[in-house]
Amino acid sequence: MADPSSLPALATEPTDVTETPEARVPGVLVFILADMIVFAMLFTGFMVERSGQLALFDQSSATLDVWLGILNTLILITSGLFVVFAVNAARQGRTRATRGWLLATFVVGAGFGVTKMVEYSAKIEHGITMHTNDFYMFYYALTGAHFLHFLGGMLALAVLWFMAGRQKVDGPLFGLIESGALYWHMVDLLWIVIFPLLYLLGTR
Amino acid sequence: MNTNMSNAAYFKYWRACAAMGPVFLTAFIVCWGVLGYNIPPIPADFTAEQMAEHFRTNYNEVRAGMAGAMLFGVLYLPWTLAITKVMEWINPNENNMVSTLQMWGGGLTVVPLVTSSVFWLTAAYRPDVLDAVTLQMLYDQGWLLIDMFYAITTIPMVAIGIAGLTDQRKQPLFPRWACWYSIWAGLSFLFELLMPFFKSGLFARQGWLNFWVEFIVWFAYIVIVTYYVFKAIPRLEQERSALLAKA
Repeated sequence: MADPSSLPALATEPTDVTETPEARVPGVLVFILADMIVFAMLFTGFMVERSGQLALFDQSSATLDVWLGILNTLILITSGLFVVFAVNAARQGRTRATRGWLLATFVVGAGFGVTKMVEYSAKIEHGITMHTNDFYMFYYALTGAHFLHFLGGMLALAVLWFMAGRQKVDGPLFGLIESGALYWHMVDLLWIVIFPLLYLLGTR
Repeated sequence: MNTNMSNAAYFKYWRACAAMGPVFLTAFIVCWGVLGYNIPPIPADFTAEQMAEHFRTNYNEVRAGMAGAMLFGVLYLPWTLAITKVMEWINPNENNMVSTLQMWGGGLTVVPLVTSSVFWLTAAYRPDVLDAVTLQMLYDQGWLLIDMFYAITTIPMVAIGIAGLTDQRKQPLFPRWACWYSIWAGLSFLFELLMPFFKSGLFARQGWLNFWVEFIVWFAYIVIVTYYVFKAIPRLEQERSALLAKA
């Protein structure tokens, strides 16, 4: 059977390529929206469980390090600001500045990974796992799922940094840079909800 | 190469294979889900005696359901092949790694679907002589297999998304949103990683997240992809006719 690549016309003639750089952006919003719906359900689940075990949730929440949470918030917001600069630079076709801001976003963002490792290690050292109680089940599930998103974002930033060194940043790559930036903002946004839910609601 | 092959011959069976997706989905929900008592699953925090009571009461429905699930479960394979054929046309000048991954991943998804049904069928085969803990173990094993082998289904879902997003057509064969949905849905199965650690709550096999959300997400993916495969086939028929006319 003739496969598509065996047709001579296809071997030399790409199909209609008239896509604008921004055309890829709305698609990633579906990914972001779907992800945020699931997180919203998790947040609702947390609040429902919390309402039934208020004392336990508050007591457990008080064991979390609020200052570490604030530091993580600042890290992600700063990193989110840098990725905006990267998108602006890419829109203007400034390759060097785009790569510089993407690198800054990555380096600052890496601080989040370091502080989370410190936090997880301390909890595990104290024998606190996701089976300790329902609060810690949500703590590990929410921060763990968020951490996986963070790792995905870091990978995306690294890939974009490499690609920006090989392609025009205001060409077809721009759509990917903007999509990556939108995803990185989602990582910010999720943390901005997770932080008060887990770290602040229980403080008195 | 056979450019003399007519479109009717070239695209023969494509629609039939694509139609196997909805057939699979409907039959699987009825057989595996309703007759097999897997929608919703029997809770993981049920005692062995409660589980045994279920099999000793409902063994005939479970036998019929699992036999049906094993029969219709394999329809995931022709459905996968229809997607592969469309994917081969997305970027015909590139290698076929992504479409091949999709074909293997989708084809191998049949394995957990059918094999897990065997465990439930075994439990329903001699529930009167098997002890309660063995029946519980068989039911658990079926669920652990179907849930924890999710990664084999993630591969084709991500592959479809990647291929679709690199489609250079002004109007891609798979719209961007559907590609991102497919990638997201495949990755969302990662929550199943927590399933073995819980017998109750949202992460347990019967939990709202690891059962209701994840299975609805998967079922919706089947419907969405089938719809766009059916929309892609007539477009590819036109594309191929035009290319043959030029050749």
